[in-house]
Amino acid sequence: MLIAMSIFSAISLALMMGFVSLERNFAATTDFATNHTDSVRISDYLALDLRRALSVQTAPNSTTITIPSYYDANGNPQTPQLDGEGGVYYGASGSSVQINYYLANGTIYRQQDALTPVAIAENVSDFNFTVTDLGKVATTRITFKPIFRSSGASQSAIDATAVYDTVLLRNTRTDTGTGVY
Amino acid sequence: MKIHRPLHDNGSVLLWTVLVITILSLFATEVLRAVSSRYQVALQTSTWQEALLGAESGIDLAVVELRKSLYPAPNGAWSGWTNTPGDGVISHGLTTVPNAGLADTPMTVEVDVDAPAQLIDASNGWQYYRIRTLGTMPLTGPPRIGFNKQDNRLRKLTLQAQRFIDNLFTSETNTPHAARRLEAIVAPLSSFNQAIFSVGALDLNNQNIVVDSYDSRYATKSTNGQYDVTKRQENGNIATDGNLIDAGNAYVYGDVSTNSGTAINTNHVTGVIRTDFYQDPIPIADPNWTSINPTPSIVTGTATLNASSTKGSAQSRYRLSAISIAGSQTLTLAGNADGSSSYIEVFVSGDISVTGTAQVILGQGVNATIYFQGNVDIAGKGVLNPANQPANLLLYGVQPVDSVTPHVNLGGNGQITAALYAPNHDVTVNGGGSSGHVFGSIVGKTVTMTGVTNLHYDEALGSDGLINNYQIVSWVEDTR
Repeated sequence: MLIAMSIFSAISLALMMGFVSLERNFAATTDFATNHTDSVRISDYLALDLRRALSVQTAPNSTTITIPSYYDANGNPQTPQLDGEGGVYYGASGSSVQINYYLANGTIYRQQDALTPVAIAENVSDFNFTVTDLGKVATTRITFKPIFRSSGASQSAIDATAVYDTVLLRNTRTDTGTGVY
Repeated sequence: MKIHRPLHDNGSVLLWTVLVITILSLFATEVLRAVSSRYQVALQTSTWQEALLGAESGIDLAVVELRKSLYPAPNGAWSGWTNTPGDGVISHGLTTVPNAGLADTPMTVEVDVDAPAQLIDASNGWQYYRIRTLGTMPLTGPPRIGFNKQDNRLRKLTLQAQRFIDNLFTSETNTPHAARRLEAIVAPLSSFNQAIFSVGALDLNNQNIVVDSYDSRYATKSTNGQYDVTKRQENGNIATDGNLIDAGNAYVYGDVSTNSGTAINTNHVTGVIRTDFYQDPIPIADPNWTSINPTPSIVTGTATLNASSTKGSAQSRYRLSAISIAGSQTLTLAGNADGSSSYIEVFVSGDISVTGTAQVILGQGVNATIYFQGNVDIAGKGVLNPANQPANLLLYGVQPVDSVTPHVNLGGNGQITAALYAPNHDVTVNGGGSSGHVFGSIVGKTVTMTGVTNLHYDEALGSDGLINNYQIVSWVEDTR
């Protein structure tokens, strides 16, 4: 009886430990997958605006992108106009829309002009996004801290989560002053 | 011997087995749920990205048609499209692209090209075109929204009913799909948008030549419309469709571009050295005017051709079989007595030869466009362009009728002020007068500079002459 109980306890303990390990692993994997999905979404948001950017100002976890003022007050597309120097604008001459991406209180927001910021990724306090302005192209890099180890992720593990994107800026850059690329 | 196990022992084993299987099943179910929802998001994301590729392909398709339209007729431009875009006329194209990826779902590309009146450049009448495209990719799998509302806000997939109807495109349906809409504006580019462009070899011949730019339209970039070294600009770009530029240690105040090639002797280039250049060398066709001034039909001695105040007037259009002047003979392209603007167009089917001390003289205010199909040899006193404006003398090399490459030798004692576009001719520029200065732009099948010390590109030429390309100047994604 004693032997049976010991064997039963050992098997139960092993099973319990196995379940706990599986559960922790599952949680870490789910977290990784969720964070990866968040990274891709942030990258896609940035790429969407960078493609149509007129200018870009970057800082760690903060990027401001200026895009054409394509929509009128009712949200309808406006007719393009020529500026007399080979350029094109929408709406009033010189008008544009500023979009600011920033990380605050564990949430990454996208704010268009003075409108209410929209959260594009939540619970991402461990995220870092950087945009590098290379003139004709901009690159984005997004990382997060995976939770596979209770002692915390090493820098190499964080680097391994990086999602990169390189975006060709389609519009004539207005902030370089060197004309058409 | 049979061993009889107590019944309550069997019950415990069964209970434990069921418990373990239940826990494992629950775990597997949760894993499956998590994996399938993320798989769905990944699939929807890639479909959404593919739709963008489709929409951008639509822009490419339209630009290809616009470029085709620049070739001599018949060029096949807009074949298969609903209409040909003109002022206010809309063209519509629809293409379905078989897609090997994403479960063989076909990509649909719909393109609309129009020419709004607001997109006519008032300075030269050039029409910019608006290209609007829709790229659509069907969504495979169950029509379920993703588990994250932020994904849904970004991608705006159509799952049950068409999400957005704009009365422009017709290819969207109510079936689950991802759609991306783009709007691009393309601007015409002049034949003279480079200081020097050659289809093949470009050789500056190690003469320490200076290639720079100015803009005769702006006082900040020129003085009284003339080149001023103190207002030098750095858009004296030189380029080749070939793979070799010998910059000859030239002082190039601009970019040097090859087509995946090499630029050598580029120690004094101020701009960027690029290897990703290619520009279609659009050939020039015989203008084939329906109505012309029939006399003279050839120039073999001193002669005068009269310009007209009306651009394109039949009276100022001449078709000559040749121009050949020698000794002290002159060919005068005469304008109005008061020097006001006048226009003249001349097509020469044969050769142009200016030798001895002969000279071609432009009258004051004359804007001359000369088309030539044969060889051009200009020596003697060269061409007198009194206002020293390259835009006043545009020289176009017409596509030869046979496979022999004709040549253009521009020289003479006089200063050369002209814009030359001859993508089927081998071009040699020599001399440039005692100062060795050339003002304008040079395009040839090959270009060789000999004895020229300075080439000053007038940026005003970039909005003059024939259009030979289109370039995207604005790009917007419609994210409604």
